[in-house]
Amino acid sequence: MKQSGHSEHAKQVAAFEITFSRYLDADGNVVNQPLPRWASDKSATLPIYRAMVLCRTFDRKALNLQRTGQLGTYGSPLGQEAIGASVVSVMREEDVLVPSYREFSAQLHRGVSMQELLLYWGGDERGSDFQGPREDFPICVPIATHVCHAAGIATAFKYRKQDRVAVCFIGDGATSKGDFYEALNVAGVWQLPLVVIVSNNQWAISVPRNKQSAAQTLAQKSIAAGVLCEQVDGNDAIAVRAASQNAIDRARSGGGPYLIEALTYRLGDHTTADDASRYRDTEEVEKQKQLDPIKRLRSYLSNAELWSEEDECALVQECEQKVEQAVKDYLNTPAQPAQAIFDYLYAELPASLQTQYDEVVSNNHG
Amino acid sequence: MAEITLVEAVNLALAREMENDPNVVVLGEDVGVDGGVFRATVGLLEKFGSERVLDTPLAETMIGGIAVGMAAQGLRPVAEIQFMGFIYPTIDHIVSHASRLRNRTRGRLSCPMVLRAPYGGGIGAPEHHSESTEALFAHIPGLRVVIPSSPARAYGLLLAAIRDPDPVIFLEPKRIYRLVKQEVEDNGETLPLDVCFVLRPGTDITIVTWGAMTHESLQAAEQLQEQGISAEVIDVATLKPLDMDTILDSVEKTGRCVIVHEAARSGGWGAEIAAQLAEHGLLNLLAPVQRVTGYDTVMPLFRLEDKYMPSTERIVNTAQSVMEFA
Amino acid sequence: MKIFNLPDLGEGLTDAEVVEWYVKPGDEVTIDTPLVSVETAKAVVDIPSPRSGQITRLFGEVGDIIETGKPLVEFEEEEPSDTGTVVGKVETSDEKLEEKAVVIDRKKSARVKATPAVRALARRLDVDLSIVSPSGRDGTVTVADVERVAKRLKDLGPPELLRSARRTMAVTMGRAQAEVAPATIMDDADIDHWPKDFDVTVRLARAMSVACKAEPSLNAWYDGHSMGRRVLEKIDIAIAVDTPDGLFVPVLRDVANRNDDDLRSGIDCLKIDVRARTIPPDEMRAYTITLSNYGTIAGRYAVPVVVPPTVAIVGAGRIENRVIPVDTEIEIHRILPLTLTFDHRAVTGGEAGRFLMTMISDLEGFER
Repeated sequence: MKQSGHSEHAKQVAAFEITFSRYLDADGNVVNQPLPRWASDKSATLPIYRAMVLCRTFDRKALNLQRTGQLGTYGSPLGQEAIGASVVSVMREEDVLVPSYREFSAQLHRGVSMQELLLYWGGDERGSDFQGPREDFPICVPIATHVCHAAGIATAFKYRKQDRVAVCFIGDGATSKGDFYEALNVAGVWQLPLVVIVSNNQWAISVPRNKQSAAQTLAQKSIAAGVLCEQVDGNDAIAVRAASQNAIDRARSGGGPYLIEALTYRLGDHTTADDASRYRDTEEVEKQKQLDPIKRLRSYLSNAELWSEEDECALVQECEQKVEQAVKDYLNTPAQPAQAIFDYLYAELPASLQTQYDEVVSNNHG
Repeated sequence: MAEITLVEAVNLALAREMENDPNVVVLGEDVGVDGGVFRATVGLLEKFGSERVLDTPLAETMIGGIAVGMAAQGLRPVAEIQFMGFIYPTIDHIVSHASRLRNRTRGRLSCPMVLRAPYGGGIGAPEHHSESTEALFAHIPGLRVVIPSSPARAYGLLLAAIRDPDPVIFLEPKRIYRLVKQEVEDNGETLPLDVCFVLRPGTDITIVTWGAMTHESLQAAEQLQEQGISAEVIDVATLKPLDMDTILDSVEKTGRCVIVHEAARSGGWGAEIAAQLAEHGLLNLLAPVQRVTGYDTVMPLFRLEDKYMPSTERIVNTAQSVMEFA
Repeated sequence: MKIFNLPDLGEGLTDAEVVEWYVKPGDEVTIDTPLVSVETAKAVVDIPSPRSGQITRLFGEVGDIIETGKPLVEFEEEEPSDTGTVVGKVETSDEKLEEKAVVIDRKKSARVKATPAVRALARRLDVDLSIVSPSGRDGTVTVADVERVAKRLKDLGPPELLRSARRTMAVTMGRAQAEVAPATIMDDADIDHWPKDFDVTVRLARAMSVACKAEPSLNAWYDGHSMGRRVLEKIDIAIAVDTPDGLFVPVLRDVANRNDDDLRSGIDCLKIDVRARTIPPDEMRAYTITLSNYGTIAGRYAVPVVVPPTVAIVGAGRIENRVIPVDTEIEIHRILPLTLTFDHRAVTGGEAGRFLMTMISDLEGFER
């Protein structure tokens, strides 16, 4: 990096270092030793793989539903599945997930149901009324605003002296936003139990990473807030899990906030209404497919004799069945009655709204 | 019972509720050590400690957002924005999140936060420190917008706001922060939200107002009385949800209405009240509803601010012309 | 996409053998339609269509090996892929917007200016706002104005609501006023030679009958809406009768075919029945022309009201002595003033004039 300062007499008062880690190469071969001990443990690794495969199976179906008009606009996490599943695998139940809108492997692994996700993208608020993780935040659309929310959640944890952690997922585009900087800043100065995961999939709709920021890494933005960080290969589940474990445990024990930039690639379009071929090279996408996280982990697991063909067949079948059932449940859920738009506006509907409520009921009687 | 000013009443309510409820946490810029630039939070840090009175970094967006997260976790954050002029960075969090968190999770999560800010002009402050844009918030479904006009109402309404399970924007008219004193008992009792307060009974004309303008409106009512015109003065207090029944009952009696607000005229909250008067009270109106407001200009810097803000004289003149109409 | 390549079937498989095609060129498929069955080293799998469209080409025959990533199937055309949005669906149509500038026609309203509260007050006090003089700004009716008029009306007591004959007259005359286009000719008949105590009414009826024969246009019914006219054969003259209960107009039927005695007894019967209020309604309907002998009370000439559907009314004034020139001498004769008012929508001035002259000739030419 270029030396800053206006003269040779200026002395260095601060420097920083960003590390990158990976354990598996594109084909699932171990390229960095030693592996974490749990890497040979089925109970630590298989849940991640299963979560990734379920996510991908769900994703395929969701795209089909959208194309047949049974789901609204939907954003596919194709190619990014390792990050969410790996991070969540080291979260505790009492931690809180604060997701963006493209982290379904994380949400599903936390216990959000596929039916809930379908309801959300199908335009129904009940999709955010998670029956599983009751305190997790819903999908966040206004970019990066949820990092502030996560900071607030972490503030509550710290205030109550609970050893819980708020884990927030954002994309590369979100790191340009004020909310991101402001939240990291307060997390740093208040030493909040907050872990921010940047799923850097290289694209913010049509804006590539190199047009999003001049910073050499996105991770280093946290350094400016006094928050530790690192970069990992986001398609290497082992690396992501290892980094997350470190960050989350540290935050939980009062070590303060942490940021992990997980490098990945958005293989799909931004949303089902977007056509990425307008702004990017299909050849590049094809190359990136070689770095598929599911293929990679499967290779590793298979080589480590933790996963067999039969296991694979059974999992694929199981995932497809689960997805089919979720789709059925979703399609069989009728829309809420019209007056539901007034429910939950306030804890109790104010008298001043009763007339409007009655009007909606009578207009939609039946 | 002490005789205290409006800002002291805010302070009293904060202390009272922090005492009552360990979930109440105060945060904002300069609220701790400095006690708030208007001293609204003075003494709280000493009494409740730095874990409950948080001096935040300079980041209004973050203040709004962090309060959302805290509230979702069941705390009762009372976040201060130093001046309404700096509230705009929080609008994303207020509109996109606070106002709709309960709705979009079907009640699973909710947002019992209070965002307080001194608002309005008349203290000779530099630019941007005299904003009166309450209509922006009053327009948003899912929010409460509360504006006290006296020490007693500041105390009772702020307590109610903190205890309310939904987000409240609490705007404190800084011009009357210290203008009057009133006896306020620190009994922890709330005043009701969502209702208007009738400050002065009358029979000839209804003056509807809020915030610092209640001061001018009451003065105008006195002057009108000398001319034999009996004016009823109503303090809306909770702009949203709006208690139209009280206003309609009054106009049914008087047949005439003048709405007074400091905020700019067009699209000000007076427009909503006038529209509802036309909708539900038309047959009782003897004269058109008039609004005495700030002009549709940028709030001028302080040399001209008293030319902009509604004066007692303007209110009296308007009321007189309404009386002459029919 | 236009060309669908053999997708990666997983597990590092590099190619597949075509086992069976399920589609052929020309077929329309939808998304997920199975296109082909292929065999890999591991299994036989179906490959579903990634999009809807028409198949134009198959890249391979049964038994051929196709490499992963190489063309498998071609579709007819590119799937339109630019949705022009990134969320939701932005509707398109071929509708072309045609707009014309509209200028609001600013007409001064004839409405009484009063606020809703004042209107409500007027309703409550039963005051017709159109009779209230406004004293408010811009000609607005004020509460005080309404109350003033209400008091005045109250002092006057309640109005008498019209009934029966007076009501009928109000309705009929109101309607006549709205529909008819009246025009009037006035003239005199010199009846000096008539014997005293002569039956004027019968003579008038007779003269009208003769005039109707000469100018049938005046014995007709006119319908303003359809603009249709019925010239009538039978002459039924309505005779205006004044009573304490109001104006009655009984009908003397078929005047042309009755003799004078018959007419006289007919008129007498009508009068008796009217005064006794025993006259049936039918005897006051369906007349073809009217005679108003107002001269029996007072007045020379008048402009009586033509009641639709008739088109003429004859008015007879008070018979009086007048100074008239005869050759170069001045004489005093008894004169009968006559008025003919007609509906100019259906009767011309010429027809009316000739009718009147015929009447006058008949009256003047009478000889016992």
